Amino acid sequence: MASNQNPISAIDMLTSALRSNIIPNQEYLLQGSVIDSSAEVLHNRLRGLCDAAETGPETFHDHEMCFSLKASSPGGTPQQQQSFLLRVRRALDHPEYPWQLRYLGQPELGEKNQPTVLRSCIDIACTPNVVEFLSELGCRIEFEYVLKGYLFRKGRMKVTMSKIFRMGQAKSPDSLEAMTGSYLVELSLLAPSGQDAVADEIKVFAEQLRPLVHLEKIDYRRLQSYS
Amino acid sequence: MGVIVLQLFAVPEGKSGPQVIDILTKRVTSLGGVLSGSFMVDCETYTSVASLGATRSVHLLHNSETPASVFALLEAASGNKTVALVADNLFDLLMLKLSNFYQAKKQTKIESRGPRFEAGDFLVKLGSVTMGPAFKGILVEVEYQACSLPAACWDLIREFMQGFLGGCVPSTPPQYIQNRFGDMLGPIDGINQYLEQFNAFRKTTGIR
Repeated sequence: MASNQNPISAIDMLTSALRSNIIPNQEYLLQGSVIDSSAEVLHNRLRGLCDAAETGPETFHDHEMCFSLKASSPGGTPQQQQSFLLRVRRALDHPEYPWQLRYLGQPELGEKNQPTVLRSCIDIACTPNVVEFLSELGCRIEFEYVLKGYLFRKGRMKVTMSKIFRMGQAKSPDSLEAMTGSYLVELSLLAPSGQDAVADEIKVFAEQLRPLVHLEKIDYRRLQSYS
Repeated sequence: MGVIVLQLFAVPEGKSGPQVIDILTKRVTSLGGVLSGSFMVDCETYTSVASLGATRSVHLLHNSETPASVFALLEAASGNKTVALVADNLFDLLMLKLSNFYQAKKQTKIESRGPRFEAGDFLVKLGSVTMGPAFKGILVEVEYQACSLPAACWDLIREFMQGFLGGCVPSTPPQYIQNRFGDMLGPIDGINQYLEQFNAFRKTTGIR
């Protein structure tokens, strides 16, 4: 295997990629839900609208864990702790696939005319010892769940229809209880920052799914005030 | 995938790093080695901030031989365990985002860089190790690509290495290889050896 004539350092490559704005580190997102009894109708509509209609959508069965890294600010109260969240996801139906480590920034809802939620997002494939790595790094597991559902694609957009399951007492992926009587529907696209035209692409597609499902920007702060 | 062995080559009195590389280059090419570009292995270390508790270090290494990967070696707080994570290039971006928790000390960034030769099933890399502007020594990497089991090929590797490095190559394998003599080795084992060598270079003032 021939190597580069003059290898550029990885940090220099990353810096130049960041400057040229080619790293897809922004997620444009819309979410909604559909009750189980109506899920099949939505499934068929998505099958018709999305790519690869003949082969059918991919199914997935993932286990996701959310970790947090907290450092207390000197002299600060517990509320002033800086917190950094990381998610680890693995495919239960394909144990040979790499695990995925994901960083998600704070979601920005923006103005009323901003069609989608915007959040920074870094997806990193890694080896299965990532949980041990994060524990030694100082992270603590916050929560975990299992997601089972369907994955559709339309161009650069990704649509998932999935059911969330709570991990059973035995903590094994086989003992699952569904958390809701509905499917979570997510429409997202990963792109470099500043490509706001893609948000309109998502909005147009979301319109085509009405009235089966209403995909909209979810305000997490309002959700937290209910709990 | 192959067995990677690192060998420190002491710089003789009165000679400079580039002169030693020239001498070794002539020896490798006379053994049939063909120059095929250059290589670089670098290491940046991040240390945890005090508010995170016991001090932990994350060493981020990159190897031009595996350009799509980043090796993150985490030294556990207890000091007796290292967890080696292999991830995509974007892991570098994640470490930058973690700057409130793990901070890089710029002056400890260390790299080994130089010409790369192919000699049949062997890959030979003659690295000049530098830390910032300071030259620290010569580190030679030899990889025997045809076999991943040290027990089956150590003698062949040693004979090949002694052919151009001379007596500085010991007859017993390095401790790292001895501890894994019967195991299948891969790129992470080369990286672990680089980290051991880089840590030794960092502790030495002047040329090793």
